[in-house]
Amino acid sequence: MDPTDSIDMMDPTPQPLIIARGLTRSYPLGDGAVIGINAVNLMVAAGEMVVLKGNSGSGKSTLLSLLAGLDRPTGGELVVAGHSLSGAGGVDLTRYRREVVGMVFQSFNLLPTLDVLENVCLPALLAEKPAEPVRNKALELLDWLGLRNRLHHTPAQLSGGEMQRTAIARALINDPALILADEPTGNLDSRNGRIVIDLLSELNRRSGRTVVVATHSDLADDLATVRIRLQDGALADPPCHS
Amino acid sequence: MPQLNFLLKIFLWFSVRHLRRHLGRALVVLFGIALGAAVFTSVRLSVHASLQSFTRSMDFFAGTADKVLVRPGGHVPEGVLPVLLAHPAVKEFSPLLTTYVRVHPAKGGAFLLVGIDPLLDQPFRSWRLRGGRTEIAERWLDLIREPKTVILTEPLSREIDTVAGARITLDHSRNRAEFRVAGVLVPEGLALVEGGRVALTDIATFQEFTGLFGLVDRIDLRLRPKTSPAQLEDLARKLPEEIEIRSPSAARDSGSAMIRAYQLNLSVLSFASLFVGMFLVYSLVALNAASRRRELAILRALGASPRLLFNLFLAEGALFGVCGWLLAIPLGSVLVKYLLHTVSQTISTLFVRVHVEGLLLSPAEVAVSFGVTLCVAVAAAFQPARDAMRVPPKEAMEIAHTGRLRRRMAGRLAAWAAGCLLACVPLALLPGVAGVPLPGYLAILLLFVGSALMAPWLLEHLGRAVSPGLRRLAGTPAYLAGRYLRDSGARTSISVGALITAVALFTALVVMIHSFRQTVELWVRQTVSGDLFVTTKMGQVNRFQFPIPAEIVDNLREAGSYADLVPSRRYPLAYGDFPYEFEAMGMEPFLKHGGFVWLQGEAAEVQPRLVAGEGLLISEVFANRTGLEPGDTFRAWIEGSRVELPVAGVIRDYRTDGGVVFYSWDHFKERFHDPQWSGVRFYFRDRSGDIDVQTAALRELLIGRWGDRLDMISGKDLREAVLRIFDETFAITSVLLLIALSVAALGITTTMTVLVLERTRQLNTLLAVGASSRQVRAMICWEAGFLVTAGELAGLLCGFVLSYLLVYVINRQSFGWTFLYTVDWGVLALSAPLIVLTALAAALPAVRTALREPPAMLLRER
Amino acid sequence: MTFSPLRYMLLLFFLVASGGIAAAGDSGFLSVTGPCRLEFPRDHGPHPGFRTEWWYWTGNLKSETGRRFGFQLTFFRYQLTPFGGASAWPDPPSAWRSRQIYLGHAALSDLAGKRHFQSERAARQALGLGGWVRWGPDITLFLRNWYAVILPDAHRLHAEGEEFKFTLEMKPAKAPVLHGIDGYSRKGTTPERASCYYSFTRLETTGTVTAGGKTYDIDGESWMDHEFSTAPLEPGTVGWDWFSIQLSDKTEIMIYLLRTEDGGVNPASSGTYIDASGALRHLEKGYFQIRVKDTWKSAKSGAVYPRRWNLAVPLLGIDLDLSSNLADQEMRTAGTTGVTYWEGSVAVKGTKGGSPIDGHGYVEMTGYAGPVSALQ
Repeated sequence: MDPTDSIDMMDPTPQPLIIARGLTRSYPLGDGAVIGINAVNLMVAAGEMVVLKGNSGSGKSTLLSLLAGLDRPTGGELVVAGHSLSGAGGVDLTRYRREVVGMVFQSFNLLPTLDVLENVCLPALLAEKPAEPVRNKALELLDWLGLRNRLHHTPAQLSGGEMQRTAIARALINDPALILADEPTGNLDSRNGRIVIDLLSELNRRSGRTVVVATHSDLADDLATVRIRLQDGALADPPCHS
Repeated sequence: MPQLNFLLKIFLWFSVRHLRRHLGRALVVLFGIALGAAVFTSVRLSVHASLQSFTRSMDFFAGTADKVLVRPGGHVPEGVLPVLLAHPAVKEFSPLLTTYVRVHPAKGGAFLLVGIDPLLDQPFRSWRLRGGRTEIAERWLDLIREPKTVILTEPLSREIDTVAGARITLDHSRNRAEFRVAGVLVPEGLALVEGGRVALTDIATFQEFTGLFGLVDRIDLRLRPKTSPAQLEDLARKLPEEIEIRSPSAARDSGSAMIRAYQLNLSVLSFASLFVGMFLVYSLVALNAASRRRELAILRALGASPRLLFNLFLAEGALFGVCGWLLAIPLGSVLVKYLLHTVSQTISTLFVRVHVEGLLLSPAEVAVSFGVTLCVAVAAAFQPARDAMRVPPKEAMEIAHTGRLRRRMAGRLAAWAAGCLLACVPLALLPGVAGVPLPGYLAILLLFVGSALMAPWLLEHLGRAVSPGLRRLAGTPAYLAGRYLRDSGARTSISVGALITAVALFTALVVMIHSFRQTVELWVRQTVSGDLFVTTKMGQVNRFQFPIPAEIVDNLREAGSYADLVPSRRYPLAYGDFPYEFEAMGMEPFLKHGGFVWLQGEAAEVQPRLVAGEGLLISEVFANRTGLEPGDTFRAWIEGSRVELPVAGVIRDYRTDGGVVFYSWDHFKERFHDPQWSGVRFYFRDRSGDIDVQTAALRELLIGRWGDRLDMISGKDLREAVLRIFDETFAITSVLLLIALSVAALGITTTMTVLVLERTRQLNTLLAVGASSRQVRAMICWEAGFLVTAGELAGLLCGFVLSYLLVYVINRQSFGWTFLYTVDWGVLALSAPLIVLTALAAALPAVRTALREPPAMLLRER
Repeated sequence: MTFSPLRYMLLLFFLVASGGIAAAGDSGFLSVTGPCRLEFPRDHGPHPGFRTEWWYWTGNLKSETGRRFGFQLTFFRYQLTPFGGASAWPDPPSAWRSRQIYLGHAALSDLAGKRHFQSERAARQALGLGGWVRWGPDITLFLRNWYAVILPDAHRLHAEGEEFKFTLEMKPAKAPVLHGIDGYSRKGTTPERASCYYSFTRLETTGTVTAGGKTYDIDGESWMDHEFSTAPLEPGTVGWDWFSIQLSDKTEIMIYLLRTEDGGVNPASSGTYIDASGALRHLEKGYFQIRVKDTWKSAKSGAVYPRRWNLAVPLLGIDLDLSSNLADQEMRTAGTTGVTYWEGSVAVKGTKGGSPIDGHGYVEMTGYAGPVSALQ
């Protein structure tokens, strides 16, 4: 059974999940400022598989941080799933991270003291959800990801692919509307990279979940429904729908 | 509740597991805080036990009296009874006499004999005899019916091995007589006074035994309900002028205030161990917060609130607090056994007689100890917890985050440190609060905190200043060590802070104890001079209230042909609630052989006035407590004489915690009344021969003539005894000192180990680029050397300031005395390298860990 | 738990009175074995040399508004050691050294307020704390500020406690009554089991009493007993009941019953009847009957006391019902484990020579809270 089937039937009429208008993030440095991204306008409908490309320093990570609610824009407007992130306070952002997004990192970012199951459950527990349903759901997810026999291993005992699959399970535990992946294949060999990209794509296709993947690699290109290229903090060309 | 549950779960997952992974460090820190808590708790419990035993004894003894009549320096005449009988304010009264007596032949120590009228005393004090009802009635009545009967407590009857009905011989300053033991008291009420070292007798027997006919020590009063102050004043008017109406709790209050001051002093000293333990907790929690930054960022990215992270680290501190306190229980129970005895002995020597039967686990004390330990540990975790809270979730996105060194922090901390240190100055000048030097303690705390905060800045500058020079002198490892410390930020400075505290404490106490001892030695040589001291039997314990009988005095005077005699009479008095001693002494012969340790006034100018009886001397404590200064007039009632004399000078005296006032014996007799002799000291005129032989001969002569009617001690033995008591008193302080130092050494061990473990990658890189293992080890040793040197130097500096505070602020405000400030350079010079070596030894385990694993493995990913 | 020396003091007093203690040195004391040869005012004063002595004043009082009170004031004297003998005093003796101990009991029954106030005092006869003085013909007994002055024509009393106080002036309506044989009152089968005993059976009383903060002017009638002995009671005596009755026809009755272990009454129990002119009649035990008609149990001591009696003296045509005016007039100065006794005001109603008569009196009952002789 595909657990993602049961996850959600979100909004039946697709409408823009991500709306960015003049979105800007600059970092003060000395007297001037370094621009992360500058005046980005973007609209992504729910259910898209977005691939975000660009060179180092193009603003990929900045945009992703903003979408993830890890950082705040310095200008413009950003609305994700109805949450306006432009003027959000720390408490709002914490809630946003718990309820709206799921993150997958390049270096997996599993907590070393927690085992696989605990790592997966953690976001739900942070969101103060009851432990037992969370555990069941985590088990389903890990089943689906083929990690059933790894439940009580610590991250140090896992291979890279396993760690990233654990991270994907963790990203899904709170039923996020938006899944963000930051170079998810960056620390993986090509075989495992392929598997991870396929999983993300499957999440997008099977449950209509919006996925944003920031990556250097071409692995995801053919699976993308929207391709965005950033250059020097701005969109290099209009988003390309395939 | 579910939230707490959740916090607990995350705490277990995130923090406890991490601590378990690094169990060694955690245990060292735990042991450190446990040691601190154990010292703090056992010191407090020991003093508390003494305090309890003292106040309980005083309460049982004070009974239910509302007021007490006394006649300063003397006895209350029974002639006042008709006034009490007739006065409407007086509901009940009970006269009372006490003295210390001893069983003859000597068996056990001196104990308190209490003389009361059992009938009048009934509303005041409770006591009960062992036995059946009729038996009790008969035996109790025997006290009145039969002269020379006494009732003993159970422990006393055991100690002197006697039973009801048996006969015992009691020795007193003036007399020796055979008593019949009329009964044994059930251990309750009055029988618990002085830890049960008490015996009861009828007031008639007491007076016949001691010769105090018509006199009593005091009369306890119970007033009619709603007695107005005016009625009380009326009563005072009807009584002779020299009779004082006092509060019954005055003696208890002044006694327990002294013990409390002592408790506070020891608490502050022992808190230093806990303070050092606090550094340990801080260093580990801060390390965890810093080294787990990325994990914290991830947690934040996954939806953890800043508050959660804050709570996690506070909880880590609390865990150390709770576990440390639990571990402190077994440690403390060992320590307290030693302290209990020593502390009670010290209190008995310095302040008031206490008899500690055992440890009373006061819930309040346990709560204080738990609360303080927990607070200290949580407070230690506060700063790291705030740091953790501020980790931005964005850092989760960064690939290789190198811990951010806040360069400006050292400067900011130094500014705070300067603020703390400067604040010490006005605080030290403030007077104490209700006899407790609170501003002084606050100054000490600020001094410690300030010095610790100064550590990062100090390290940075030390590193910057010495590393270039060291490169030339000691090579690259030393240079690298200096550079590393310069940049290592707050973390290393934590251990340095701990070391500063410990060294400062050590230095300060060495200086204080040395100054104190030097001064006491001087005082002993000058003021406790004399070749033989003679007083009545048990004169000391009975506070010299029984003068030497005239026929003995006449005989003693015969020694005047070959020795100078300095007669003296001591009166225990009170100035308000403050107890002091008035001593009339033969001033001229005394000044010929001995002298005073002057504080105010010139010996050359004041001594002639003393000899002429134109003024008196007051001790420093007396001057501090009463505010009297040279030129002021001293006023007191002494044995019915109104004494008014100008203060000629202030001297140092360490005889008791209370003050002393000295006046010429001859002029006292001339101006007021014959004070008689309560004691006399002999100075041999011919000092060419062996003084010991002369002393022994005189002693033998007196014993041959007067047997044990006199107590005698040679001046040499007395002076030795005084200094021995002094040294015993400071034994506790030394123990505290050693513990603080060992906790600090633990701190060095953890810091160095952590520093090494943190940098394994860096160290192996050094190896990879061509450093030899010896060089790496040398670098670590140099680092340790820097830390220790910085700590030692700053600690010494801080210690001198602290010693000044202890001598001139704390001691002055809590005990009223100061001493000549002298530094024991010898001990300090010897101790400095010792401390450095110890600290370096503490760093050795770190050096060993440094290169335990092969570099290739460590250079692997993660 | 408070030890009360006074409790044991009193216990001792009763033990001696009941013959419970054959104290060593008994022989040194004087004994009452024959005629007392009482002479007044001399014999109003104490009789040192005899071991125990007491002066007992009881009475029924009434305020102007009709509020009724009963009172008791007793001075006990107890001699610790006989004169001379083995226990010689030190020389010089302390001013506190004394052979005599004085105890005082005072009580006030506020019959309308249904409250019973009591107080006790004790002191050795030394330093003006307690004892007696003679000033011409006047005898004064005192314990601190309690006093009883016996003047040739009046008695003056004062006593006070926590919540009560009374100051009384009394005029004897009749001469002292010498009980037994000219005051020699037998308390047992052997001659030395006896006391010297006389009474003022009717003292016209005026004065003030203060109870619970209010002061009343009162008048009424009182009774005074004075008795001394060395060993009055026989072993086996568990207690005694003592009745003093003042009838409205100016006659009085005194009766004491010595109760024995077996529940009977010692044949030495007896009484005295005083007619209106002051002439007396000794009442042998066989002349009167006393039947208990009702009892009261003290919740505090657990003792069960008679509260209503029938007293008949057929010879005199007297048939009286006595009932206590207040159930709880128990003296508990000694607490439940020591000596507890009942001393209280009673109302009297009945017939004398066939015609109705009433009166009042006081009753003392000892040994109900445990027999006095069993206390050892």
